[in-house]
Amino acid sequence: MPDDGAPLTESAGGATNVGDVSVRELSELRDLLFGAERRQLDELRRRLDTAELTPEELAEKLPQAIVQRTARDRQLGIALAPTVENAIKESVRRNPQELATAIFPVLGPAIRKAIAETMAGLVNTINRAIEHSFSPQGIRWRIESLRTGVPFAQIVMRHALVYRVEHVLLVHAETGLLLANAPEGSLGDADLISSMLTAIGDFVNDSLEPKKTGELRAFAAGDVTVLVETGPRANIAAVVRGTPPDSLPAKLQSTLETIHLQWCDPLTSFDGDAAGFTTTRPLLEDCIETVLATDRRAKADGRRWVAWAIAALLIVAGIEWWTSRGNRQWSAALARLETEPGIAVIRSERSGGKWRVTGLRDPLAVNPSLLMASRGVDTNDVVAHWEPYVSTEPVLLLARARHVLAPPGGVTLSLRGDTLVGTGRAPAFWIVRADGLAPALAGVGGVDLSRVTPGLPASMEPIATEIERLRALFAAGSDALDQSALNTIATAAAKFRELSAAANAIRYGVSMQIVGRADPTGTESDNVTLSRRRAVAVRDRLVSLGVSVSRLTVDASGSSDPVLADTPAERARVNRSVSFAIRAEPSRTANGAERER
Amino acid sequence: MIQKKVCMVGVYGTGKTSLVQRFVHSLFSAKYHSTVGVKIDRKSVKVGDTDVNLLLWDIEGRTSDQEIPASYLKGAHAVFYVADGTRRETFEQLFSLQELAQSAAGQVPSIVAFNKYDLKDQWLVQQADAAKLINAGFRMMTTSAKTGEGVEEAFRALATATLSSATTQTVQPPARHGN
Repeated sequence: MPDDGAPLTESAGGATNVGDVSVRELSELRDLLFGAERRQLDELRRRLDTAELTPEELAEKLPQAIVQRTARDRQLGIALAPTVENAIKESVRRNPQELATAIFPVLGPAIRKAIAETMAGLVNTINRAIEHSFSPQGIRWRIESLRTGVPFAQIVMRHALVYRVEHVLLVHAETGLLLANAPEGSLGDADLISSMLTAIGDFVNDSLEPKKTGELRAFAAGDVTVLVETGPRANIAAVVRGTPPDSLPAKLQSTLETIHLQWCDPLTSFDGDAAGFTTTRPLLEDCIETVLATDRRAKADGRRWVAWAIAALLIVAGIEWWTSRGNRQWSAALARLETEPGIAVIRSERSGGKWRVTGLRDPLAVNPSLLMASRGVDTNDVVAHWEPYVSTEPVLLLARARHVLAPPGGVTLSLRGDTLVGTGRAPAFWIVRADGLAPALAGVGGVDLSRVTPGLPASMEPIATEIERLRALFAAGSDALDQSALNTIATAAAKFRELSAAANAIRYGVSMQIVGRADPTGTESDNVTLSRRRAVAVRDRLVSLGVSVSRLTVDASGSSDPVLADTPAERARVNRSVSFAIRAEPSRTANGAERER
Repeated sequence: MIQKKVCMVGVYGTGKTSLVQRFVHSLFSAKYHSTVGVKIDRKSVKVGDTDVNLLLWDIEGRTSDQEIPASYLKGAHAVFYVADGTRRETFEQLFSLQELAQSAAGQVPSIVAFNKYDLKDQWLVQQADAAKLINAGFRMMTTSAKTGEGVEEAFRALATATLSSATTQTVQPPARHGN
């Protein structure tokens, strides 16, 4: 024990036993009186001698020291960073699984966050594209891009840019030599610029501020500003495009302080070799940033939503117009169909992108597809189902009557109520047939053909009329044929042959009635006899001229059916005559065929 | 890569800018442009196995009413003095220029180029003057920016001196002023 050693050494020089006893007693007395103080003094001496903290003391103070220093500035973190990095590297090298397990819980959230940020960036890009595409400003920029040949993206960037820190240079303060710059290799003449920055600073100081109380902090050219922060050993310069924020100088200054702290020795001993400063680049790169017009986001958001809304509105209006146009066309076509005779729409609807229509249709009605197409409806979009039915609409009823009865050209059919009315002249057989058929037509309640007069077919009529106008005249009381009568008979024979030919062509059979007359003179019975003789004379003459006797009939009128004339003499003359009447009817075979049909 | 700051110092019109132009761009123009402030150029030279990037500060020349701004000389690794062999006063002022440079940049390697050697028939600097300079610790060369004679050698010698300045500094004669 050192506290015991000193008194013993003191007494080593020639002490006696008695003395030993007294010394021991004295020592005991001293211990009794000053023991506690002595021990304190010895402890203080020990501390002064070692002047170092024991591990125990350090363990006591370290956490508090760390807390205090961390609260004050970043230096502790900066100082510890390399050690921590090395420790992590070593840990990974020894056992990667340990660290992987430890950081596993943070990996998932970190990846999700990264994805979310990427998506947010993408949405932002789309929003910007929309904003720039729809706004008048965007159109202006496009024109500017076309005019100048500068890519649109660059034009947008130039206009939307609030600021961008493009380059950061770390410059040795005394020599103006470049220590490091970021981004690497982005500035070809970084070393020259570095020197010029220093020279400009010197120039400004020398020229404007002889007392040199300040430093050049910033200068600008166009939209480029160079901010310079100075330190005792090095300066930092940032080339900024746009309007640099107030916070940037502080950030630069903080970076510069860190560099001064960590690279203190290389800065002091710098002699032109900048190799030791390449490790400052991450710090410099932290200062590189681009800020777009996000502070105008609220306004831009508003504009963007207006642009979205207008676009959406246009699209909706377009769809609405297109749909309603289709609807309008369809409705118009449907209304037209419903008014069309012979068509009855039962149901119509829109489903599966098609128009569907169901209804009834008279076969004689118009084609619905053609009608819809004429109204602008795309018939490819229409699915139609029409059931056939018989319509009693007057138009269709008449059409059906015409189709079934096939009236000759001289007959007009019309409806009076549900009665089918015919007017004009038609062959008697048609009248008979129509009279029988028409009531069978659906919708026809009755038939009135009283105004259809029977007549020869048109091809025979003129010839028959000519024959019936001929008159062979006789002398009073005579049945002899004079020259004039012979001529008339010859004409009649020729015309009759002509008529027969025309009748044959349309399958008609003709016959000629020879009507003999006498003037009123004498008794009626005589007159009848005379008139018969006259008719027979004419018949015989016609037969001799080649007319078949079977086609000829003889009729003696006497004076009972006289031909009218203005004077009695004239009446007597024209009634001493023979005239002709034509009878025509469809030949038996033709009539049979007609019936079958 | 090693970088070195080299300051061109001299009286106006001695050809500092022309020497830099010749050295860096291999160009010469007979037209005189006075330098205002400072112009900086750079040229890489290879010394042994080392690439040295020389940042050449072409400082405006001293005139009767304008001293060279000392701030430009601060931190220089070498000083390239330029005198005009046909103008004696440019030689005489070298000593005060040296004093100025040393007060700003300290004891750094230097060289004196007597420029315009293509006009040597008009030479006014005597042998005794050269001896005086050597005594003052100057290293001397003759150059012609017009013909290029001695230019490359002068810069190269200075670049070499900057690399070995840590050792040569001690063996160089102590600075003595001409007066």
